[in-house]
Amino acid sequence: MPTNVIMPALELAQETGKILKWLKAPGDTVSKGEPIVEIETDKVTVEIEAPASGVLGDVTARAGDVVPVGTTIALIAGAGEAAVARPVPAGAPAVAALSGPVVNVAGQSPPAATIKASPLARKLAEEHAVDLARVKTNSGRIEKADVLAYVERRKVARAADGTAARLIAASPKARRLAAERGLDIGTLHGSGPGGAILAADVGAAKAPLVAAAPPATVGVSNVWRIMAERMTASWTTAPHFYLVREVNVSRLVSWREKASKHTGARITYTDLLVKLVAATIAQHPGMNAAWKDGTIVRNADINLGLAVAIDDGLVVPVVHRADTLKLPELAARREDVVSRAQAGKLRPADIQGGGFTISNLGMYGVDAFNAIVNPPQAGILAVGRIADRVVAVNGQPAVQPTLVLTLSCDHRAIDGARAAQFLGALADLIEEPALLV
Amino acid sequence: MPDTAVRELTYGEAVREAIAEEMRRDPRVFLIGEDVAEAGHPFKTLLGLVQEFGTQRIIDTPISEPGYAGIGVGAAMTGMRPVVDVMFGDFITLAMDQIVNQAAKVHYMSGGKLKVPIVFRTTLGATRRSAAQHSQSLHAWVSHVPGLKVALPSGPYEAKGLMKSAIRDDSPVVIFEDKMMYRVKGPVPAEDYTIPFGVAEIKRAGTDVTIVATSSMVTVALGAAKLLEEVGISAEVIDPRTTYPLDKQTLIDSARKTSRAIVVDEGYERYGVTAEIASVIADGAFYHLDAPVKRIGAMDVPVPFSPVLEDLTVPSEKSVFEAARALCGKA
Repeated sequence: MPTNVIMPALELAQETGKILKWLKAPGDTVSKGEPIVEIETDKVTVEIEAPASGVLGDVTARAGDVVPVGTTIALIAGAGEAAVARPVPAGAPAVAALSGPVVNVAGQSPPAATIKASPLARKLAEEHAVDLARVKTNSGRIEKADVLAYVERRKVARAADGTAARLIAASPKARRLAAERGLDIGTLHGSGPGGAILAADVGAAKAPLVAAAPPATVGVSNVWRIMAERMTASWTTAPHFYLVREVNVSRLVSWREKASKHTGARITYTDLLVKLVAATIAQHPGMNAAWKDGTIVRNADINLGLAVAIDDGLVVPVVHRADTLKLPELAARREDVVSRAQAGKLRPADIQGGGFTISNLGMYGVDAFNAIVNPPQAGILAVGRIADRVVAVNGQPAVQPTLVLTLSCDHRAIDGARAAQFLGALADLIEEPALLV
Repeated sequence: MPDTAVRELTYGEAVREAIAEEMRRDPRVFLIGEDVAEAGHPFKTLLGLVQEFGTQRIIDTPISEPGYAGIGVGAAMTGMRPVVDVMFGDFITLAMDQIVNQAAKVHYMSGGKLKVPIVFRTTLGATRRSAAQHSQSLHAWVSHVPGLKVALPSGPYEAKGLMKSAIRDDSPVVIFEDKMMYRVKGPVPAEDYTIPFGVAEIKRAGTDVTIVATSSMVTVALGAAKLLEEVGISAEVIDPRTTYPLDKQTLIDSARKTSRAIVVDEGYERYGVTAEIASVIADGAFYHLDAPVKRIGAMDVPVPFSPVLEDLTVPSEKSVFEAARALCGKA
């Protein structure tokens, strides 16, 4: 039996995934575990690995297609097996367009190899970059004339695209005035014959306040859009509260120096904080929870998310079971996921299962900040920079390295007292890491 | 104190005065044509000239347009300055070879050694109930031909000034007088003056629409402008005075100012003077136009003999008024 390649559900709420790029072509031999397709989900871009070894075939979703999760997008035929086309399971949800003007329904276009076409038609199609699947034919077999007719229609259609603006009725003077004033002729109301825009209509239109460049609209990536949606959802549904605590990090600083020397690895403060937060959460499991459908769901494992800024937004790769990892392992894991996050190469597993998030903006010189809870988690720890600050020690001012921690919480999942206990325990550990045992 | 400032002449008298003054000024000037001497021309425009200048300089000919046109071209090539009278503009068809292939070409084909300082004096204009062969306005035909200059006097003042310029010009000039204007009176200076070719005159300043009009259509346009003023539209009326050379810049500048233009001419509308001038304006004022350039010419039909029908074929104050109002979006 051939093995199905399925659009995976990488998170609970995911309904569809978008095919970014096939890394393997139909007919290619693939090995189990080898990346075969790039998929963009609500959160990240991931490579899907071949679920079996064999020959890739029956690819039904093309680059750009948005496909419901659970849909078979290809088959991998084992040795001696023929890839058999399988219908999309009955009752599969219709393909939804998330974005982009064209959504190809999976399975709509037959693969090029199965299309009947004369050799000359194929040659012409290749020369003109024509997808034979789009060429109509009356004879059932695509011939030269069919391809040429398609090319001609495409030419006309492309030409029409460029003339859309000119199809607006407007006098030459109105066009010139609009252009001079930086007005879009299409936005004006025409008072002339047949609604034609006249010079007076341009005069009536309000010129942009600043005649200079209009504000630039920046198209956003899927990652950015999802960030915006999730933060809006969190901000508008999760009642936030914040606990702020300044901690002395003299010991933390010397610990990092010793640990780096001792292990030979590049240990960062974030690594130490992951270690300490994981240990604290083990004692305060209420912080590792989520508000879900009227109940509090406690997570079994201590999986800590790290907020990572990438070029097109924010992603939160997860260090799983952080409480079980030794420092060098933590550092290696952190370095791995952060670098892959920045390269856009996170795997589905990298972003799943986070229970609490740490966001560190200390490297940007930020003293302290209030983070927005990363839903459905109960809390996020905002970490500021380490700086020498004046503090009172035994009634005397003293200069010590300190760090300001701000804990943001979803009040539905945890209350102030329990969150304060967690933060207090964490602060104690930071000020005296030896307590870690 | 001469009464030059207020002296009025008819259009016909102005033409006669121009020819007489030039004949007195230059002995090489003579006039030749049908019924020009004793008859003083069927339109009575030349009355008295033969008495002053004699039949040696006011020469009656048989009915033979190609013949006397050829005499004129030959005389001009050999140093005379003839005024050739073609009674009706419709008859220039008979003299076309002399006008188009001879007069217009000789200077060029002789390498500039020969000049043809000739004036073809003829008429245009309908509504005289003269039927299809005596009512046409064919000035577009000669305006089309390189080597010819074409003048269209729109009133008595222009009739005298343009005629004198035509006679003094070293190139062949065809001057079309509107036969319906001979009795129209207007101020004409008694002293010597000329109107330069290729210089349009703004007859009336305005801000909303430019009406370019030729010959008697200038009067029509001025009448329309008055009607337009009553509905709050300010029309600028321009008389190009010569279709070649054409004062393109004045027309373009006006159209740029008003953003709208109508061209009115009594020649047939299709392929006509209106088309040429409209194209000049569209080309030069395109990015200043708020409406297409509108043309109003004579209906593209043989001019009817029926007075009712004939009147319908030519532009009128009313038709120009309505076209201008529609162009300004106030119809």
